[in-house]
Amino acid sequence: MHRLRARQIVRAIADAATRWHDADFPPRVRVLDGICARTGYSVPVVEYALDALFGSIGEAALVETIARELGTLDVLDRLTPRGDGMSAQALPVGTACIISSRTTIGVAIVPAVFALCAKNAVVVKDREDGLVRAFFDTLAQEHDAFAEAATARVWSGASQDLGEYDAIAAFGSDDTLREIRAQTSIHARFIGFGAKASAGYVTREALGDERTLRGVLEAAARSFVLYDTEGCLSPHVMFVERSAHCPPERVAELLAAATERAGVEFPPGKREASVDAALLQARSLAAFRAASGQGRLFSDERGSFLIVLDPPLDEPPLFLVRALAVYAVDSTADARRYLQHHGVTLEALAAPSARADVVELASALGASRVTPFHGMQRPMLGGNHGGRPRIVDFVRWITVEL
Amino acid sequence: MSDLDGEILRVIERWHTRGQSLDEHEFDDLALRVFDYQLRHNHPYARFCASAGISPQRMPSSWREIPPVPSSAFKETTLATFDVSHAALAFVTSGTTRGTGGRHYMETRALYEAALLAGFDRFMLADRARLRYLNLVPNPHDRPDSSLGYMMGCVSASRGDAHTGWYLRGDDFFFDAFVADVHAALDDAQPVCIAATAFALVHLLDAMRERDLRVALPAGSRIMETGGFKGRARIVDRDTLYADLSDRLGVAPAMIVAEYGMTELTSQYYDDVAAGRVKVSPPWLRPRVVGLDGADVPHGVVGALVHVDCANRSSCVAILTEDLGAIVDGGVILLGREQGAALRGCSLDAEMLRARA
Repeated sequence: MHRLRARQIVRAIADAATRWHDADFPPRVRVLDGICARTGYSVPVVEYALDALFGSIGEAALVETIARELGTLDVLDRLTPRGDGMSAQALPVGTACIISSRTTIGVAIVPAVFALCAKNAVVVKDREDGLVRAFFDTLAQEHDAFAEAATARVWSGASQDLGEYDAIAAFGSDDTLREIRAQTSIHARFIGFGAKASAGYVTREALGDERTLRGVLEAAARSFVLYDTEGCLSPHVMFVERSAHCPPERVAELLAAATERAGVEFPPGKREASVDAALLQARSLAAFRAASGQGRLFSDERGSFLIVLDPPLDEPPLFLVRALAVYAVDSTADARRYLQHHGVTLEALAAPSARADVVELASALGASRVTPFHGMQRPMLGGNHGGRPRIVDFVRWITVEL
Repeated sequence: MSDLDGEILRVIERWHTRGQSLDEHEFDDLALRVFDYQLRHNHPYARFCASAGISPQRMPSSWREIPPVPSSAFKETTLATFDVSHAALAFVTSGTTRGTGGRHYMETRALYEAALLAGFDRFMLADRARLRYLNLVPNPHDRPDSSLGYMMGCVSASRGDAHTGWYLRGDDFFFDAFVADVHAALDDAQPVCIAATAFALVHLLDAMRERDLRVALPAGSRIMETGGFKGRARIVDRDTLYADLSDRLGVAPAMIVAEYGMTELTSQYYDDVAAGRVKVSPPWLRPRVVGLDGADVPHGVVGALVHVDCANRSSCVAILTEDLGAIVDGGVILLGREQGAALRGCSLDAEMLRARA
């Protein structure tokens, strides 16, 4: 990769991503069924994921992100004056390893792309559907330097020696990250992306006009059903401010109607019987409580989703497939109290507006994004997933002070 | 004793003594009458059923249409047909994400004891053997709220040889006492029944391996395994477990019988070893297997288990569980509660929250 200029790398990556953004691009068509089989998600959900992923990897977005984090793209190619009398260059750290150990779709590709922009060799733990390998093949078609620099392997974590890598980016559960970290060399950089939840917060200002509210809830419903609520960017709990304009019951009702419609666009994936059994138990319990005057539930005849209004506050979010708890609150303080009580850390908080107390709520709960509901499942390339920079972790700085 | 209890007891007695079963019509009749009674006396259950359009005035036409109460509802409120301050028995159910357990109250001991002894006699003691009971379950004197402890206390007292042993207290396992009693049984040539959860059996085998201990229990000895690995991190394949038990204790695999019960039920299922270990039930207990919409799934398809237990007169006749099973010829295959209910993606889940707490 050293012989390529950063701009060439960025352009090649963006060109490859553009090809992959086309739903008819043959390699994408070839891996689609494999991804559906691996994740269990329906075809429209997987197509959405691929569109969101590759649609975000544009040349301008890559350049902007790198420039914002490193100052300039040129710093990846040569010593560049910094303005403080020193010159600096951002060198590759060496070989970066990217591990996405759970059933996500292409989450390894973004860090891999930035590691490549920093001219590292990259090894990605691929899944059996070969998505990353297929994307790397396209990169190699763009420039043969990628054939050597970007490798995707299918492996079982236990059998790999992780001590040889200079940086390891890993996605997974607490146990997975603990295990990987233990195998990481003390000289290597460990970049862990742990499991998180996301939440929605509907401010009372959005409740004044039902048309506006419907728009908010349509977007919320799409975010809710995508990835069957299994992603860290899926809303797992929603808070609705009490308002004379529209009571929380009405909001939950509209959300349920929107969820039914979203379920047509994004049908549920294949579920294990155990998932259905847990969901049925939760739905029955919500019905039992509702019959005793505690909260309400919203679902469809098939039971394909479950929205529970005001379940007991001493219960954590449901964390079940297409299941969402909605709480009526007076202010962000109520939401904060609930989430902190249950130790829930957020990745994203969706809201109709960036009201100061909403941003403060997100900040207090460790969120890295405050986003509109429609952007929840479409993180921008320049965002800071997990609260981390995109490329900084993959470079090693040298400064010349002479 | 109510007339209804008397009738249920007669059903139990007829099967216990004469093997007389219930046909579809008889089961329907009994289940619906128990249900009707509960609609009139168990108010939280009645409200739940009313929300599903069921009331004494609008009764279901079949036992399959009785709304099953979710087992988790026992942790929410008291589900009983009587004033529980007069309960003869109260068993505690396991905890939840909210950290609370529930209670299953029974108005009389008669139904519970009759049901458990009839089932045990039929499925564990078909040869009418008088065994010595070595129990790796809670001692009912220490834990009167354990349904499993109560069950084995009852069995040991009425079917045992008066030398019953108890080897669990809290998390302590009294292995030396167990070994001493095993040797005493060997000396007496007295066949034994070891009653234990699968998890306790794993610990027993670990301890035996550690001591390099292997015995051949007297002929006629047997093992009743129950409870699976609910809530335990370490899970051992059942075939492996039974093979190891057979190897260490000298009990033929055919003499190892799995029992399946729940605190929320009065009656139990047992392995039909000869029929490939499908679970069979006494005639007053029937399973349903349902899908996400709560409707019955075809035979052979895996879904959530619903138990309709007519002996559950004191609480709710139909219970929805999270356990998985499939109806097959001759009984039900029990798959237990799989770990797969956890979310698969990069989301936080309840398990991780608990671990972080």
